Amino acid sequence: MNRNQRIINFLATLAIIVILAVWLSHGAEIFTKTKILVDNTTELDKLLGVKNEIWVDKFILGLDYSVAAISFIIIITIAINYLLKTKRKEL
Amino acid sequence: MRKLILSFFVLVFSFSLFAQGFNVSSSGEKTFNFTDQGKRNQASFYSTTPLEDITGLTNDINGKVSLKVNDIKSLNGEISVSTASIKTGIDLRDEHLRDENWLDASKYPNIKFTIKEVTEVIQLADNRLQIKFSGDFTLKGITKKISGDATLTYLVESEQTKQRAPGDLLGVQAKFKVKLSDFGVKNKVVGQKVAEEVEVSVNMVGSSAS
Repeated sequence: MNRNQRIINFLATLAIIVILAVWLSHGAEIFTKTKILVDNTTELDKLLGVKNEIWVDKFILGLDYSVAAISFIIIITIAINYLLKTKRKEL
Repeated sequence: MRKLILSFFVLVFSFSLFAQGFNVSSSGEKTFNFTDQGKRNQASFYSTTPLEDITGLTNDINGKVSLKVNDIKSLNGEISVSTASIKTGIDLRDEHLRDENWLDASKYPNIKFTIKEVTEVIQLADNRLQIKFSGDFTLKGITKKISGDATLTYLVESEQTKQRAPGDLLGVQAKFKVKLSDFGVKNKVVGQKVAEEVEVSVNMVGSSAS
């Protein structure tokens, strides 16, 4: 493995770790979400015995997109590693 | 003395049988409109499977309910929600929910519930009742009898209630279960991501003024 390959592998590993960290911090959901439910219950709602939730736009990274992104990074890394392979001098 | 005690219990029992309504300053028959321009009323379904928990929610609720304030067994009316307005938090899944294998929103634009009967009443407070109800639930054009539990809260018009709507307010929190296959919903199309039986919750406030 040459220096360039080591750099590429390091960056790929870093990117995968970042994706997994974001996925875990978003609650380790299986499917990626674009909206979340937020409690919007008022004091009057409580008096009336009802609760109120609303959809709020928020991106939650799921395992589906994480696996897709990680697979893409691995494929690209393998391809770059192949291209950066040091060619042996012919005897 | 024994007759006196017996009479007391008969009296208490009689009250428990007949005093099944709200004990508030309003009286007579009231009709509550649950069409809220502010879209704060909501109906949701909750599905749990080993793969994922899903909540679908809509704020597009319409309908009217009538009752005699002091007799909750007189409760009747119809509530409907717009099928296409149900959101689950994933846009692509919402599209699947609307297609013909699922709820077929273009052919069946509304999901309806018609209240037919109140079977049990528990008085939680003067203005709050817990009931068991049954009625006709219509989904994808198929109507079946469904039973559920609800808590009803009555607030007589005040400065505070006017913040929400004019007139007396009726808060309804109801829950019942729906078996999807009973209504022709093919939930196995997407690999059993959705449970066969989903729990439906309704949180809505109706006004007697409109």
